[in-house]
Amino acid sequence: MNVDMIVDGERFELDVEPRHTLADVLREQCGRTGTHVGCEHGVCGACTVLVDDEPVRSCLMFAVQAEGAVVRTVEGLEQDGTLHPLQQAFVDRHGLQCGFCTPGMLMTAVHLLDTHPGADRETIREEMSGNICRCTGYAGIVDAIEEAARSR
Amino acid sequence: MSSLGTSPPRKEDRRLVTGRGRFVGDLQLPRMRHVAFVRSPIAHARIENLDAEPARAAGYRVFTQADLGGIVLRAQSALPSYVETGQPALAEGKVRFAGEPVAAVVAPDRYRAEDGAELVEVDYAPLSPVVHAWDAAAAAVHDEAPDNILLERTFDAGDTDAVLERAHLVVRRELTTNRHAGNPMECRAGVALFDPADRRLTFWSGTQVPHLVRNMIAELLGLAEGNVRVVAPDVGGGFGVKSVLYPEDVALCAIALKMPSTPVKWVEDRVEHLAAATHARDHRYVLTAGFDEDGTLLALQADVTCNVGAYSVYPWTAGIEPLMAGGLLTGPYRLEHYRATVRGVATNTAPSGPYRGVARPASVFAMETLLDDAAAQLGMTGVDIRRRNVIRPEDIPYTMPSRLVDDSGHYDECLTKALDAIGYADLLTEQQRRRGTDEPPIGIGFACYNELTGLGRAASAGPRMPFRTGHDACTVRVNPDGRVTVFSGVTSQGQGLETTVAQIVADALGVGYDDVDVRIGDTDSSLWGFGAFSSRQAVIGGGAAHRSALATRTKVLRLAAGLLEADPDDLVLTNGVIEVKGSPDTTIGLPEVARVAYLESNRLPDGIEPGLEATEFYDPIRGAFAAGAQVAAVEIDRTTGSIRILRYACVEDAGRAMNPQIVDGQIAGSIAQGIGGALYEHLVYDTDGNLSTGTLLDYLMPTSAEMPELVIGHVERPAANPLGVRGVGEGGTLGPNAVLAGAVSDALGVRIDELPLSPSVVWTAVRRAAEDHVTPTPPEEP
Amino acid sequence: MKCAPFEYVRPTSVDDVLAALAEADGEGKILAGGQSLVPVMALRMARPAVLVDVNRVDGLSALDHAGGNVHVGALVRHQALAAQTLHPLLAEAARHIGHTAVRTRGTAGGSIAHADPAAELPVVAVATGATVTVAGPQGDRWVAAEDLFAGPLMTTLDPGEMVTGVDFPVPTRWGFAEFARRHGDFALVTVVVAEVGGEVRTAVGGVGPVPVRARATRPEELADELSPTGDLHGTADFRRGVAVEMARRAFASAGIREAA
Repeated sequence: MNVDMIVDGERFELDVEPRHTLADVLREQCGRTGTHVGCEHGVCGACTVLVDDEPVRSCLMFAVQAEGAVVRTVEGLEQDGTLHPLQQAFVDRHGLQCGFCTPGMLMTAVHLLDTHPGADRETIREEMSGNICRCTGYAGIVDAIEEAARSR
Repeated sequence: MSSLGTSPPRKEDRRLVTGRGRFVGDLQLPRMRHVAFVRSPIAHARIENLDAEPARAAGYRVFTQADLGGIVLRAQSALPSYVETGQPALAEGKVRFAGEPVAAVVAPDRYRAEDGAELVEVDYAPLSPVVHAWDAAAAAVHDEAPDNILLERTFDAGDTDAVLERAHLVVRRELTTNRHAGNPMECRAGVALFDPADRRLTFWSGTQVPHLVRNMIAELLGLAEGNVRVVAPDVGGGFGVKSVLYPEDVALCAIALKMPSTPVKWVEDRVEHLAAATHARDHRYVLTAGFDEDGTLLALQADVTCNVGAYSVYPWTAGIEPLMAGGLLTGPYRLEHYRATVRGVATNTAPSGPYRGVARPASVFAMETLLDDAAAQLGMTGVDIRRRNVIRPEDIPYTMPSRLVDDSGHYDECLTKALDAIGYADLLTEQQRRRGTDEPPIGIGFACYNELTGLGRAASAGPRMPFRTGHDACTVRVNPDGRVTVFSGVTSQGQGLETTVAQIVADALGVGYDDVDVRIGDTDSSLWGFGAFSSRQAVIGGGAAHRSALATRTKVLRLAAGLLEADPDDLVLTNGVIEVKGSPDTTIGLPEVARVAYLESNRLPDGIEPGLEATEFYDPIRGAFAAGAQVAAVEIDRTTGSIRILRYACVEDAGRAMNPQIVDGQIAGSIAQGIGGALYEHLVYDTDGNLSTGTLLDYLMPTSAEMPELVIGHVERPAANPLGVRGVGEGGTLGPNAVLAGAVSDALGVRIDELPLSPSVVWTAVRRAAEDHVTPTPPEEP
Repeated sequence: MKCAPFEYVRPTSVDDVLAALAEADGEGKILAGGQSLVPVMALRMARPAVLVDVNRVDGLSALDHAGGNVHVGALVRHQALAAQTLHPLLAEAARHIGHTAVRTRGTAGGSIAHADPAAELPVVAVATGATVTVAGPQGDRWVAAEDLFAGPLMTTLDPGEMVTGVDFPVPTRWGFAEFARRHGDFALVTVVVAEVGGEVRTAVGGVGPVPVRARATRPEELADELSPTGDLHGTADFRRGVAVEMARRAFASAGIREAA
């Protein structure tokens, strides 16, 4: 089955099976291996991408459902070699250790800052609670997002 | 300028925040095939028949244990009571836990591989399952161990019975701890590719121990070790779970040998991870402790049973948890009279293995519970009884009753700092104020612990495995352009070893941090390293990096001395420039020295060989203990049993903090795992041996909303090793069970005998406490 | 964890959805937000032969006043429900559903049709006496929420029918309280109390196979009515106790001391 979508500004016209998840197609066919698959049942948040500007768990969406959609992944955040402010804040505030959950964290955080520009720590903790990190204890992640929120 | 002691941007971060990390699952190779395992749906059964024909007829490659040559993993130990058992790469004849791999199916993609796995027909004849380690054995998991005891050992020091007999106070407790899963966010993964032309196997594996994997795979598959290359690229968390060589790893490599020139890939999914990656901490402690009137711990007798699951985990053995529990149960407390019998009991559950903190989150809970119980009975505070008993600086070196030698001793200092950090005095006042009101009660809990880190050859001898994990190697190479590449035997699953090793080398060699690149996780590029476990890498891998950088520096200075016609002892190398002491105008840059070393042999001073690198090993022989203390205050909602952590402080002696941000990150992350284990995480098997918590909908890891703000403090007491460091990877996990159980107990005045502290458990405890309080006393006769 | 193969269709009208379901002859399944269905498909515990994706069906995203009710089209996302102000109780309930990335996809119709007894919207539907619009081969029919839920993940819908919308009466006073292990988890217990047309109605989720309509007029009387079972998360007594407490909180936030 065909799917035609824009991923990080690049158009993809692909032939996929209906059962292929958006996560798998992004990884296997669009070269976007930055989108990680952590649980495949919609709990861990590692596969979070933005579909038409909304955060979506790409393991729970079939690629065919993204027909005509604009998808943003972690690979699209960096602009001309400059890190997105959230990426930079994650680096500066030790918001990652193994880095596996980081792409999903970043995409959720991009949406968080768009919808809650002045988010405080409590809001950040609540809004980020759909993304599990096993390394950091979230301390550096909350620090990083708070810093990015403040510097906007 | 020194790089150590600062927190420069991590070498790893740029690729990881841009989605350009290199995880095993990201590998795409031409002709790649994907593997799915057929797994047993039953805990204990005879395999009556396995019919792969329907799958083969549909075009799938299917491999069984017989097809792969009957490879069996046999974890070995020379301990006298150890019963050696085998773990087949794929089950044959019998399955021993639900989730055990029985066959492997190969297909062009994972979707099809799972389709093919459904076509493999297996007939099982169920046998009685054994689920709990302390119930009478209903059946033997392995014929070699009819009582299911794979290992039993008694630690015995002093005269425990006699001292208990005359103790002022005897405390008896029976405690059980909840079974945990490591659950790194990246599950296990491997890609194996066999090149038949020169019989070379490349195995990309999300492992913590690539050199050990190379050694074991070569031996099990009959390959020359030099022809096996193991690559651990970016690894998405490990926590001990990935320090095991699993049957799936061996099967995957064996399949690669059967399918030459075809890369075969297996990426574990989360359900497989929860069912079949190693579990941990399913323990029972039966304890008797004797105390003096003043709270001095006199004697401790313990009987510790660890559920080690269906197999003796390779290569660490079924001894890993029981031996750690017995060796470190007494923790940071002075004690002469100690007798502990520890045993590992096989059951029809997933094998248990190393998980961050190995056994001690449970054993610290046991020890601290005894102290709290005694303090309550003696009318002491939890703080005073700990101060009474901890090993003090003047006791160092302190030989623990298990004969491990503690070289730290700053427990009281850690505890005091932690108490200050949470505002202990104010909390006590608030706690008192709330008593007798309807407001949620406050409880305060404590834990002191010692984390045995960086075990050298002597300290790693305990389990008597056929290897000693005391050393690592490192190569420091100055390239012809003067930049430095380090080939280190360490591995990283998030700990930032590329960064820390670069800092160590930059300082020891005398170059800038940005001029050092670090290659890790590839057995073809580094000489040797045991990998990441036992909080060993900062001490051992760091020590090797330091030594090899110093050796390289010596070569640089000898060469430079020849070029400058100076005495090497008069030269200093800083920021990549060699300068003659006292004459700052006489300098030469490292790039020039390096160029001579490789390209201009015409300029080489007499007696100096070309090239500019050095390889050194390091073994600390003993270990370095890291002292730690945690204190927390919680508030309990009596109506729902939920616990709110008001304040949480942890103070550790990590020795010299080489990278403060990474050290704090390790502590915060390990506390989060500890809190998760204490409050939420629980692997539950039903009576048939089926896992009831098989997805992340049921196995509850803490999220950002559950984690409190942490206060992390330090006591920097350098250890006696080249860098003065103590390991820091695990300590944080050791406290939360004890701290939170102690706090709940303090808040409600109840005993906590089991974990996790789920709302239901706490809610029930609240009601029990209320009933105890209203128990009518008979009226006095007038 | 990969789904078994299925045929995928993406109709754009309700009629075409019904036709696709009819053609699938009981083997079809409607895909809306997918937040509950796709996980069980990944586990291969659900394996529909035909997946009927209703996300592009016209006319199912309405969210407006209809008489004294608020009509919620089947495709209204939880996020939109949480943001709207027409029905404050629904907004409060929707804010408790999962996490942001679940609320952006999950739909009202999907939540009602999935009939998870621990989910928020079915409890609100029962408490408020909502009416579910069901489209079927014989045309539309209207089902009271209480009559829709038949058991855990079971409804009285025929395989050939679909939920197209729900009409929720707007309560004059209301209270919502739930208890979950972690932020965003399915609640162990949800209690909704709603005063609708002068009648105080209480529904409890998580204590039985379907949301339970409670007759108790005071929270403490609730205990006698509920017969929850123990599970991984705790004992039956615990769940009953927490239900009473959530009822107390819901009644308190509704400003209702005692149901009339």
